[in-house]
Amino acid sequence: MTELRLEGLVHVYPDSGVRALDGIDLRIDTGERVALIGQNGSGKSTLARHLNGLLRPTEGLVLVDGQDARERTVASLAGDVAVCFQDPDRQVFSGTVAAEVDFGPRNLGWSADVRRTAVATALDAVGLAGDQRTNPYDLGDSRRKLLTIASVLAMGTPVVVLDEPTTGQDARGVARIGAIVRQLAAEGRTVVAISHDMTFVAEHFARVVVMRAGRIILDGSPADVFAEAAWPILASTFLEPPLAAVVGARLDLGSTPTPDAVVAALRARTA
Amino acid sequence: MGHDTLTTVGDPAEPAGDRLARPLPAWLGRPGPTSWHRLNPLTKLTIAVVTSIQAVLLGGIVGPSMVLLLAVVLPAVRTGVGRQVIRTSLLLALPLAISASLVNLFFLPDAPTTLFELGPFRATEEGARFALEIVIRVVAIAGALTLFYITTRTSDLVVDLERRGMSPRLTFVVGSAVTMVPQMVDRASAIAAAQRARGLDTEGSPWRRMRGVLPLVGPTIMGALNEVEERTLALEARGFTRPGRRTLLWSPSDPAYERLVRWSLVLTIPVVVIVRAGGWGLP
Amino acid sequence: MIHLEGVGYRYAGAPRPSVLGLDLELRDGEVVGVVGAAEAGKTTLCLLVAGLAPRAIRGELRGTVRIDDEDVGPWPMHRLAEVVGSMSQDPSRQLSGVNGSVFEEVCFGPMNLGMPRAEIVDRAWWALDALRITDLAERDPARLSGGQMQLVALAGLLAIRPRHLVLDEPTAQLDPAGTRLVGDALQRLASDGASILIAEQKTDLLARIADRVVVLDEGRIAMEGLTDTVLADPSIETLGIPLPLMVVLRRAVADAGIDARVLDVVET
Repeated sequence: MTELRLEGLVHVYPDSGVRALDGIDLRIDTGERVALIGQNGSGKSTLARHLNGLLRPTEGLVLVDGQDARERTVASLAGDVAVCFQDPDRQVFSGTVAAEVDFGPRNLGWSADVRRTAVATALDAVGLAGDQRTNPYDLGDSRRKLLTIASVLAMGTPVVVLDEPTTGQDARGVARIGAIVRQLAAEGRTVVAISHDMTFVAEHFARVVVMRAGRIILDGSPADVFAEAAWPILASTFLEPPLAAVVGARLDLGSTPTPDAVVAALRARTA
Repeated sequence: MGHDTLTTVGDPAEPAGDRLARPLPAWLGRPGPTSWHRLNPLTKLTIAVVTSIQAVLLGGIVGPSMVLLLAVVLPAVRTGVGRQVIRTSLLLALPLAISASLVNLFFLPDAPTTLFELGPFRATEEGARFALEIVIRVVAIAGALTLFYITTRTSDLVVDLERRGMSPRLTFVVGSAVTMVPQMVDRASAIAAAQRARGLDTEGSPWRRMRGVLPLVGPTIMGALNEVEERTLALEARGFTRPGRRTLLWSPSDPAYERLVRWSLVLTIPVVVIVRAGGWGLP
Repeated sequence: MIHLEGVGYRYAGAPRPSVLGLDLELRDGEVVGVVGAAEAGKTTLCLLVAGLAPRAIRGELRGTVRIDDEDVGPWPMHRLAEVVGSMSQDPSRQLSGVNGSVFEEVCFGPMNLGMPRAEIVDRAWWALDALRITDLAERDPARLSGGQMQLVALAGLLAIRPRHLVLDEPTAQLDPAGTRLVGDALQRLASDGASILIAEQKTDLLARIADRVVVLDEGRIAMEGLTDTVLADPSIETLGIPLPLMVVLRRAVADAGIDARVLDVVET
């Protein structure tokens, strides 16, 4: 059981004085699939970096399982909350794909056997099973990104945080990441993802949290957040609902954030 | 926003006859917060270089100490960057200073006066004095360069050198060299953060911190070299290597007295060389 | 006009060519979209069309790349720079690294080309306005987010106003609003007569701005045609290309046995 709670979280970057988070209250229960959306610069990545202690609150609290995150080291939090960052070039440092994925499990002190299985399973999930000995720099950009996701999956943490996982992915990559999100949820693990891809968000997440200028302005199911009534709020932070939601609204189908929802609503109407 | 700030920030690179339909941003070339910041970048660079050379040339303890005090500590404190300069320059100077003082303290040849003994090693008074001389020099050099770095925007230096007719390629090399270190540090710390996020324990003992940094040395240097190559291409793709003069938007001011200061500083070098060659010197 | 004739490219040390047998024309005022799965050759195609392939990265070039009927092989880089503006996927590597502010960074290209000061300043403000990033003008380019860097790099290109633009996934790190702005700016440039080649995963963006779409598969052109035709072809999905959402929706509705014409009301 790993519940995340943010209470009155404020973060001011000391160098620039930018108030990236301006009073965040958020509670994420075990096994939830939560998408964080918002404009570039709305504070999403800053929030993610508080979940594993890489950034410490200027004010307020981060509680992991009810325990103040400040009382734990980043290394120990890594066993509960694994964060995959946006830019592969600023994460990957090993000479081979397998060594890169093995890095986390080794830090967690797992035995060689357990690690081997964890590495193989994670690489399989992202479709890199055949590339264990490849140098990460010989992978294309999109596969290098998948490698960073595998590196985080391999740690088997109860909470997985993915920052812009679908950036630079083709249709197959996006589908693969969607499958990973569902698989994690099926295992009862919590997934928090930051994304600009509204369709991906609507299809794979049960809860959507919208941020603007360091605050949460909307929090609900995709159907709630992308409902026509919420569009002005989305527009205030330059977000647009997914096309399916627009179509549903035009056809008076109610809130239909995904194509499946559109189809279901049309069926219900014709029936 | 000022209409045409170029006239207020110094000698234009070319006649500023062109009326701007839209203004340059007012902050472009905005004077620095203190009179030291406002010195021409080349003046600050000259001060740093002459200070470093004098710290070596003067010899002894009193000379370099005075240089350190006058050209580094005093301006740093008056400019309000004293703490930053001390911290950074000590960090830079420490490894060299420590190893040089240990070697000299214990192993200076022909040193008769014993201070104390540590096992088979004998520390000498002559060695201690020589070690002190070296430490002061190293600290003075590190301090002078740090003070320059902290109070000068790289881009200002680049613009200024270019205005003086230095080739853009050369100014780019200078600019890149100055910005390369912080960029490498940036990149390395980002990777280190990602390592910590994957459970590497770097909090606590120095050894633990080292453990995270060591595996990064190779990739960071490789990454930096790669980046230089790619950046060179990106510059070329934006016309950087076109023959003929680039247009400069503005350039830092350079009053006549600063030119005088620079030449005077440079002239102190041959003076000290002659004085030292004549056998004079401070203790 | 940029013209590729029988072009192939094999990177130094690679066992096989990344692209081969490419024939492609980029006419003035035309926006051509390039789609394909990861590693299908989109980036290589962009480098080739930009005239950068043998210069940027070592390898073996087959065929010829012509700009306005002239082989670009012997052109010096600065001449190429005035005619073709190109942007790679990683915006942090596009920035010069020597400019202290975003404004100067955007001025960098025009400054290099020796344009008059008034013109440079005018163009820089125009480019910053077009991408709605005037508020970033004073910021240090090295301290921007990935999305912001992407917009700044693009503004730096727009300020040069080259006749041809080659963009490799220019919106990868952008939020929907940023993506829309880039689309608008590109449309405006094209209507002013520029030609634009743009590799994108976001087929919805291409559906909006591209005249033609080229589909790459394993280094070859698998399909080419008018945007609406190509992006409505369900077979591109098997090549790893996301269909535009309207196409997905139409199909989902049709599959459910509902007349997809109910959706027509939305498209207008």
